[in-house]
Amino acid sequence: MVPISQAWTVASYVISQKLKGRKRYPLVLMLEPLFRCNLACAGCGKIQYPDHILNKRLTPQQCWDAVEECGAPMVSIPGGEPLIHPEIDQIVDGLVKRKKYIYLCTNALLLKRKLDLFKPSKYLTFSVHMDGLKEDHDTAVCRDGTFDIAVEAIKEAVKRGFRVTTNTTLFHGADPSHVREFFDQMMDLGVEGMMLSPGYTYEKAPDQQNFLHRDQTKALFKQILSNPKKSWRFNLSPLFLKFLQGELDFECTPWGSPAYNIFGWQKPCYLLQDGYVKTFKEYLELTDWDNYGNKSSNPKCQDCMVHCGFEPSAVDATFGSISGFVQTAKATLALG
Amino acid sequence: MPADIKTTPAHRAASLQGAVFTFQSDKERFDAIDKAFDYRGDVTLTVLGEQIDGYIFNRDPKAAPPRIEVFVKGSEDPKIIPYADISAISFTGKDTADGKSWEAWVSKKESERKAEADRVRAEAEAQGHL
Repeated sequence: MVPISQAWTVASYVISQKLKGRKRYPLVLMLEPLFRCNLACAGCGKIQYPDHILNKRLTPQQCWDAVEECGAPMVSIPGGEPLIHPEIDQIVDGLVKRKKYIYLCTNALLLKRKLDLFKPSKYLTFSVHMDGLKEDHDTAVCRDGTFDIAVEAIKEAVKRGFRVTTNTTLFHGADPSHVREFFDQMMDLGVEGMMLSPGYTYEKAPDQQNFLHRDQTKALFKQILSNPKKSWRFNLSPLFLKFLQGELDFECTPWGSPAYNIFGWQKPCYLLQDGYVKTFKEYLELTDWDNYGNKSSNPKCQDCMVHCGFEPSAVDATFGSISGFVQTAKATLALG
Repeated sequence: MPADIKTTPAHRAASLQGAVFTFQSDKERFDAIDKAFDYRGDVTLTVLGEQIDGYIFNRDPKAAPPRIEVFVKGSEDPKIIPYADISAISFTGKDTADGKSWEAWVSKKESERKAEADRVRAEAEAQGHL
């Protein structure tokens, strides 16, 4: 479970946004300090750029400025592989000083070697990319041995007192029994919690048969999560887990996880690139929000149930009404 | 809570690598710029008779005047170019997204997959990223 201080910070932040009457507010800043990675997972759509773009980095000051401009209580640092960034320790230090809850997303290939750069803190969590059991993970990331390296790094980080979570993306063809076994393995490693999400698919694909459509997503997650073990801990809103299983419906909240990178503030969300603006204010005010979400006619949004759009919706629902809060409490108890 | 969600394996339409667009109308110019904005590689722009190589990362067709933003190779700061100044776009750089779908990966022979994985690992090691 997340520390009480984090839960309190997020809860009080969301309630204060509600009391201020803000219709759109950010929950998690997706801060991408670089796109360069040391893996080339087949199909990953985040790192395909010319070399001169992959060589660009946000400076620590740019990162801190974006975080202050955005104001979200949590900062996720994906990429690319953030541990490649030569100043990642400075970036993290500055965010810890600003009392932001940081999720540093990593494939963990460099984690064990770079752990000395960081100090354990309630504000810092290593969110390790793990897409399944050894064979499934190594296949997903297109390199043998990656799972074992990540496991060693997780053990070392846990031993040194760091907060560690896993993040898992599931695609069509995922075997529910494998995924459940994988959850057991991760809990045995002592991680604080697990994050999971269906992958996002481009609408341009001519062959849709391998894509995870909404009904398939719900069926898959129902199989995985309908009978959860008491030992499993998820670092996700209980309402988001219900949403994944088709028990609740939410509309996307794309501004809930805004993305900032070397190009600027990305419209409209972490996954779609419809353009960039210079300021967070412009992002909120100039994005044509009606063009996005499941209820829009935008084909890029129709099958999306991804965490970055719907977890903020679930959190908003939790604090949006007494019934939402009660629903969350019940769902939490059901998870054990 | 926050996770690092990558986009999934996906097929893509045929690559535009090598294509050249010149325009007879504003509509053609706007369409070609949209394609260049979607392209995951460098392009060569003909701007007021001058050739500019770079990556188009932004476009705003509703701005006054409509404009693109480009990271020109070898330059730190982005360059803003009005649509009207662009007379041709050549897709000269490698399409870095081409052939990167999950299906393309799976359909390769085991030996090809291993060779590609080894190449990626060697590149990362050479750059000091492993």
